[in-house]
Amino acid sequence: MSNKNKLNITSALAAATCTLLGSGAAEPVQAQEELGWGFNTALLYYGEDDNRVQDLSLSVLGQRTYLDDKFLSLGLTLDTLTGASPNGALPQSVAQTFTQPSGGKTYTTPAGEFPYDDTFRDTRVAISGNWQQPLGRMSLFNVGASASKEYDYLHLGLNAKFSHDFNQRNTTVSAGLAISQDELDPVGGTPTGLTEMISASDDDGEDGEGGRRKGPAESKDIIDVVFGITQVISRNFLVQVNYSYSDSSGYLSDPYKVLTAVDGVTGDVVPVPQLPGIDGPSHLYYYEHRPDSRAKHSIYTQGKYYMDGKVLDLSYRYMTDDWEINSHTIDARLRWPTGDNRYLEPHLRFYSQTAADFYTLSLVDGDALPEYASADYRLGDFDAITAGLKYGWKTGGGNDMSVRLELYRQSGNISSTDLIGNQVGRDNYPDLNAIIFQVGYKFGK
Amino acid sequence: MRISVLLAGLSVIATLSGCSSMGVEAWERDVLAKDEMQLTTDALEAATDDHIYFSKEASSGGRGFGGGGCGCN
Repeated sequence: MSNKNKLNITSALAAATCTLLGSGAAEPVQAQEELGWGFNTALLYYGEDDNRVQDLSLSVLGQRTYLDDKFLSLGLTLDTLTGASPNGALPQSVAQTFTQPSGGKTYTTPAGEFPYDDTFRDTRVAISGNWQQPLGRMSLFNVGASASKEYDYLHLGLNAKFSHDFNQRNTTVSAGLAISQDELDPVGGTPTGLTEMISASDDDGEDGEGGRRKGPAESKDIIDVVFGITQVISRNFLVQVNYSYSDSSGYLSDPYKVLTAVDGVTGDVVPVPQLPGIDGPSHLYYYEHRPDSRAKHSIYTQGKYYMDGKVLDLSYRYMTDDWEINSHTIDARLRWPTGDNRYLEPHLRFYSQTAADFYTLSLVDGDALPEYASADYRLGDFDAITAGLKYGWKTGGGNDMSVRLELYRQSGNISSTDLIGNQVGRDNYPDLNAIIFQVGYKFGK
Repeated sequence: MRISVLLAGLSVIATLSGCSSMGVEAWERDVLAKDEMQLTTDALEAATDDHIYFSKEASSGGRGFGGGGCGCN
């Protein structure tokens, strides 16, 4: 391919991306001030084993720098999701039948297998825009907006960030605020927390059906604040420390997750009477119910260290919240040049979290129901590891290309004291294995 | 909780006061100016990772805003 052809392809991609972003912004407005557009594009495949979630995602980030340090960034992401997701119920030695969230139908999990709801399928569109400009000689102000839409979910957000350099630009302090309002409109209506799973024929999504389903839409509000300090330590060493606080309020449950009610001695599921002509759950299950507020605190620190061409990027995050979840995350990347304009970057990430105080494997039939309960594996006690490798190079046209492959593995920790009867010896936590494959291409500017 | 906020505040003050003796002169920024020495080298990759882990774990944010924006399964 000739360089001219490559340039043509680059221009065509730039034009197509601008069209996608819904602007004719590639047209110069003040030609004398512009450095032009740069584009960062990525195609991602995320796939979980056992036919669980598969996501194919295309992202485009257009960035335009102006000579006076003004900076515009516009992003677009399209996701296509398919596959099955654990519904929260436990595997049993008998087959289990559940009502689909959308109602009207049921699905059955064979004996010995994890109950997965395989009816979900979704497309997500996310857009974002940010504008950054200097305030005086040493400060920057950034404002942005974001929105995303799924079939049953709408997110709208605004954010602002101020940063100030001092100490000969060796120190930067920053403060940011983000607010978002998300609206959920679950398929089949929103279940009332800790009520029994209804039968398929009851489940017509109408308001107040049997007292178990209510109004169609729920919302949650999230406020995030972040304070940060970045310090240049030496010519090849840079450190950042951030404190962030996040407050969520509103509907924080997962409308598609349930809990198994079990016998207090055997730990097995409790059958419910099957009425003729009624297609419904085979056993007793409850919709989950989480508190309607959550406050999280995080400390994040990151260091970048340059050593003879190689760059070590190391970060650590501690998070704690009022659901009693504490987590530690360590992330390490080493960018290792392998020749002119080529590098390899191995990546390791370790994550560990404790369970939410209302997380439980199952509810004991006959006991008083707790105020809150969830068996969502994401709120349990688990460890996760990511191992990956990225390879990046400059193309003949001077653009940046990269591919990365990563493996993600989650494994749950369940204390033997939390197991009842026959639950001992069963696999009770749906361990997760996923691959992440991403191709990135940066061009323009 | 108040104690942890106080400790965080104190550590920021301690860091700030120690910062004045660190750093480089303007003409020593050749390495720091390299693309690979920026705190976020690939904005899309960072956003992708944040979204994946936000969907599969109970923690989010830290590097930036915790965010929201998906009814992830």
